[in-house]
Amino acid sequence: MSRGSISINGVGKAFGTATVLDGVDLSIEGGSFVTLLGPSGCGKTTLLRLIAGFLDPSRGTIAIDGAPMQGVPPRHRPLGMVFQNLALFPHLDVFENVAYGMRIRGTAATEISSRVARFLGLVGLAGFERRRIGQLSGGQKQRVALARSLALEPAILLLDEPLSALDLQLRRQLQVELKSIQRQLATTFVFVTHDQEEATMLSDTIVVMDGGRVQQVGTPGEIYRRPASPFVARFVGDINMMDGRIETVDEMSVSVSVGGRAISVPRSAVVGTASTGRACQLACRPESVRLGGTQADALSLEARVTALHRLGPTVKAVLDTPLGPLTALTMADTPHLAELAEGKTARLFVPSDTFTLFAST
Amino acid sequence: MRGATSAPRSLGWLLLPALLVLALFLGSVALLLFHAFWNKDGFSLIYFRQIIDRADYHDVFLRTVSIAAIVAVAAAVLAYPIAWLLWRLPRWRNLLLVIVLVPWLVSLVVRTYGWLVILGPKGFLNETLKWAGVIQSPLPLIFNDLGVVIGLTHVLMPFSAIATLSVLLQIDNRLEEASESLGAGGFETWRRVVLPLSLPGVFTGLGITFLTSMGAIVTPILLGGIRQKMAGTQIYQEVVYNFNMSKASAWAICLLLLSGLGLALLRAVEVALVPKADR
Repeated sequence: MSRGSISINGVGKAFGTATVLDGVDLSIEGGSFVTLLGPSGCGKTTLLRLIAGFLDPSRGTIAIDGAPMQGVPPRHRPLGMVFQNLALFPHLDVFENVAYGMRIRGTAATEISSRVARFLGLVGLAGFERRRIGQLSGGQKQRVALARSLALEPAILLLDEPLSALDLQLRRQLQVELKSIQRQLATTFVFVTHDQEEATMLSDTIVVMDGGRVQQVGTPGEIYRRPASPFVARFVGDINMMDGRIETVDEMSVSVSVGGRAISVPRSAVVGTASTGRACQLACRPESVRLGGTQADALSLEARVTALHRLGPTVKAVLDTPLGPLTALTMADTPHLAELAEGKTARLFVPSDTFTLFAST
Repeated sequence: MRGATSAPRSLGWLLLPALLVLALFLGSVALLLFHAFWNKDGFSLIYFRQIIDRADYHDVFLRTVSIAAIVAVAAAVLAYPIAWLLWRLPRWRNLLLVIVLVPWLVSLVVRTYGWLVILGPKGFLNETLKWAGVIQSPLPLIFNDLGVVIGLTHVLMPFSAIATLSVLLQIDNRLEEASESLGAGGFETWRRVVLPLSLPGVFTGLGITFLTSMGAIVTPILLGGIRQKMAGTQIYQEVVYNFNMSKASAWAICLLLLSGLGLALLRAVEVALVPKADR
């Protein structure tokens, strides 16, 4: 195991009678970029603060590199933290902000200058040493906060929605830089966000949380293609959801009735235990809903176009089908698209293996 | 909108009380200047000359400034832990604030007499110390400059505490967490983050207590020595017993100048000492 691994076992946290975290088990690999993703109030920030040591778990244990963290104050944990509001010291200049941790440790002055220079260089702020915090732009403050917490070379860096205050363009740029810095330093980054796009773009591993529980842990691809629950499916990317009933279950496939139509999906598409007669939810991503033509082993439908949204490289079509409304996402240069218009009918198909069937709901 | 523009105009008479106060203030300042420079013989600087020439008057001003400075520093030092505690214990803040302010509900004279009971030659403190065998004869705690310093510090400390608290309350508690996550303990965080950020409040307190002490009258009269006057008591005596408005006015102007000088000095120290924080 490389430096900076975190293991969280059965951690719960309650404030008074309100349970914020409810039995979280999570193992974070050293050197990886992990995102805690979830809607506000899901407990992601609480989990981060528990790892940091600003809160104590009501139950369960947290260990860093195998060492239990019970009773270890934040200052003795091998981690740095970037706060949502950055929490830069307003009375110190950029240099002294970055040097802060080293001053506490009593690092020699020459070592401090060289390290401050190195980390300000890393975040692209060389030459800003004597600027006051109030003279910096939002993005620059962000970089100072990053340099300040990285200058002590912690095994783990915790980031609490640090980019949420920035405009989209700057945010995208800093995401790229953040990722490249993480790769260079091989520090474990635990990043909290409610933005699934941000999570997908940055992470090696995404931890989807809701209602104080971990809903799913996986790579961005796994989370997107194989969501473990309807919640995850809806939270990460757009998805079409249809209510149905399981008709037959055999070795290879499951047949589901949706809106009076029988749809056969492979067993591998089933999440949970499929049993005959049970209500279920059938889901497919908009890009799996293909317009025009058909193919073998696919659900084929006749639909009426209710809306067409051109989004530059892609086109989003809202379709009225016998199964209910479906959204299709297709490349703008798809040949069949030229014939489509609002109010017209179109043929569409959904390949069977792109469905996800949530059996136990 | 008609209502919006016409309403202030028709309500202009509400300014009358403020104008009255302003008129009285400006009037009294004009009167003060008049009395200071004119007496029955016309324009005269006789009382200013007197202040410059008489060594015993120098002593009075020196004592006034020294006592005010000592009181300001003592109040700030004693008030800081109180302010810190109020800041740190949000649950108890309102109750503690009431306790801090309770002395103000008691009249100044009563409060000052309270100190007589505690600090007097046969007061609680001296009797206790004598009983414990620590001292043989009573300590001179009162009817001298020490008594004045104690009395004024007690009266003015809440000003300092509140000025400091108001600045402490503006400090983002994430700054402390950031400091802690960078390896600092509680004291180190206080020294490097909280203290520098709270200094503006401390300096505000110093200014308020210094100025108020400079003009103190009741406390020095009741707790000070008979011959050890402060500028305020001297002015009081000229006005009330000697009816010498010209002398009192000259003193008042000198006191005002000294106060201004003290504040300017304090400001210079603050600028030199407190790093500019941007919020």
